[in-house]
Amino acid sequence: TSRLIYTTTAVQRKNVGASGPEKYTEAFIKKQIEEFNLGKRHLANMMGEDPETFTQEDIDRAIAYLFPSGLFDKQARPMMKHPSEIFPEQRKIQWGEDGRPFHFLFYTGKQSYYSLMHETYEKLLSVQKYQDQLTAQDLPPQKEKRNLAGSRWLTKIELEEMLLEKLSDNDYLRFIQLLKKLMTLPCGDMEEKYIQKFTKEVPAQLQKVVIEPLKYDERGVAFSTGEGIRKTAKATATVYDNGTGKITVNGIDILHYFPVLQDREQLLFPFQFLGRVGKHDMICTVSGGGRSAQAGAIRLASAKALRSFVTEKEVEFMRQAGLLTVDPRVKERKKPGQEGARRKFTWKKR
Amino acid sequence: MAAPSAAGLRRRLRAWLPRLTQVRWSRYNPSFLEPEVNKELYQKPLEELSEEEKKKLELKAVQPIKAAPPSVSSSVFSDPMISKFTNMMMKDGNKVLARSLMAQTLEAIKRKQLEKYHKAPEDEKEAIECNPYVIFHQALKNCQPIIGLSSITRGGKTYQVPVPLKDNRKRFLAMKWLITECRENKNRRTFMPEKLSQELLQAFNNEGPIIKKKHVLHKMAEANRAYAHFRWW
Repeated sequence: TSRLIYTTTAVQRKNVGASGPEKYTEAFIKKQIEEFNLGKRHLANMMGEDPETFTQEDIDRAIAYLFPSGLFDKQARPMMKHPSEIFPEQRKIQWGEDGRPFHFLFYTGKQSYYSLMHETYEKLLSVQKYQDQLTAQDLPPQKEKRNLAGSRWLTKIELEEMLLEKLSDNDYLRFIQLLKKLMTLPCGDMEEKYIQKFTKEVPAQLQKVVIEPLKYDERGVAFSTGEGIRKTAKATATVYDNGTGKITVNGIDILHYFPVLQDREQLLFPFQFLGRVGKHDMICTVSGGGRSAQAGAIRLASAKALRSFVTEKEVEFMRQAGLLTVDPRVKERKKPGQEGARRKFTWKKR
Repeated sequence: MAAPSAAGLRRRLRAWLPRLTQVRWSRYNPSFLEPEVNKELYQKPLEELSEEEKKKLELKAVQPIKAAPPSVSSSVFSDPMISKFTNMMMKDGNKVLARSLMAQTLEAIKRKQLEKYHKAPEDEKEAIECNPYVIFHQALKNCQPIIGLSSITRGGKTYQVPVPLKDNRKRFLAMKWLITECRENKNRRTFMPEKLSQELLQAFNNEGPIIKKKHVLHKMAEANRAYAHFRWW
């Protein structure tokens, strides 16, 4: 017998969004890789280069030459990259032919996150057990000082990529809290490797900066230059040695150029910090910005110039006082639908 | 007065508020640390530092540091409390006017104290404080309330519950009371520096309307002592 089923047109239509992003099979990805390798060799032949030693940079240059594009968005231009960079990594199907999922935490929805939390907590418990054993045998717990200054935790996006699963901010915070707790216990090498999986190295900042040596002008006086920016103001400063503390801006003395005390304080800040107030002369040029921005730009320029006169330790002190960082704060843009950057239009009830 | 915020839940709430994006963001990466401008801290030799300070130094050596703001400088004349007060006095971004008013206030305090000093007999001369910065700090400290009130709604009725205040909040309230008092209760003919110096000297001696306001707040908190158990943080 047949039954009449009442359906609406809306139900009969296919729900396009429900299946999620397009899923690629393993065979498809393999085929793409083969096609990519073949295409790479063809491209090398076309460009007259050796197919064996054709690197990714050569591919990029070749494609930019053959398909020139004026589009601003780099992602929109024609590109030829290895399929693993183009197709996002996807999880294989998590259940077998009988429909039974492989992982025991599948039905939580965030199986890799919860399994990770379980693993970390097990490690924590084992460390605590080890500690208790040591105290039972009256041995002191070993405290190995880990250098936490040179590393940072993985960001939420990096963790999501690692687990191939979406996380919420709360989940991420909980995980980091657990890791920090694990780190504070006096734990041994066994946990070190596990924790290192979730840390990234932060290179020390100063190694990138090269301090220029002093230059000497016709009179034999040592001088050094520096450049600084703040908001829209750009400044260049030349600091001379064996001076009386005179500072000239755009050919005008600072007392006339900066009538406000705060700006003059900012100009003298680097000199006062190093204790060299009356020992250097400075000539600077500045353009753009307003009164306070120009003062900030000259301050940065003079601090950069003073680096050449001063020992490395004092340069580090200057950096920690905030004299050598470029201030990234600029005027916030105005948004549509609002009167200014933050101010909204007057709310009218009707 | 102060909005309720629990110490343990704050971190989770901060990231968890649904459908609300972070409005208070900054142009700096969150890994940037605050700059330390005080020259003396850098001249201390390594041995005198405590464990915590050594750890902080190590961390600072690797992490990037924000640029020092233009209102801060390493000279003896820049004081964080005074800059904060000047910013609160500032209207429409007129920092020049606010700074000049502050300078005139400090000058007025110094003049009044010097007058008293010269008129006083020999044995009392040492007791009179002439340094305007010291007077400012002491006056602000005297004005700070210890306990504040917070409105909590339970079963439809709103109660004023006594609540301990944080340091930042105390300083803010003291400065805010000073400024509103000087702006509202002065004669049209008197200038702000004069009135401010008057109020500061009165607060330094634990008298005057702002100290009275602080005592009134304390009395209200004492009166509402019964509702103190409504606080959950």
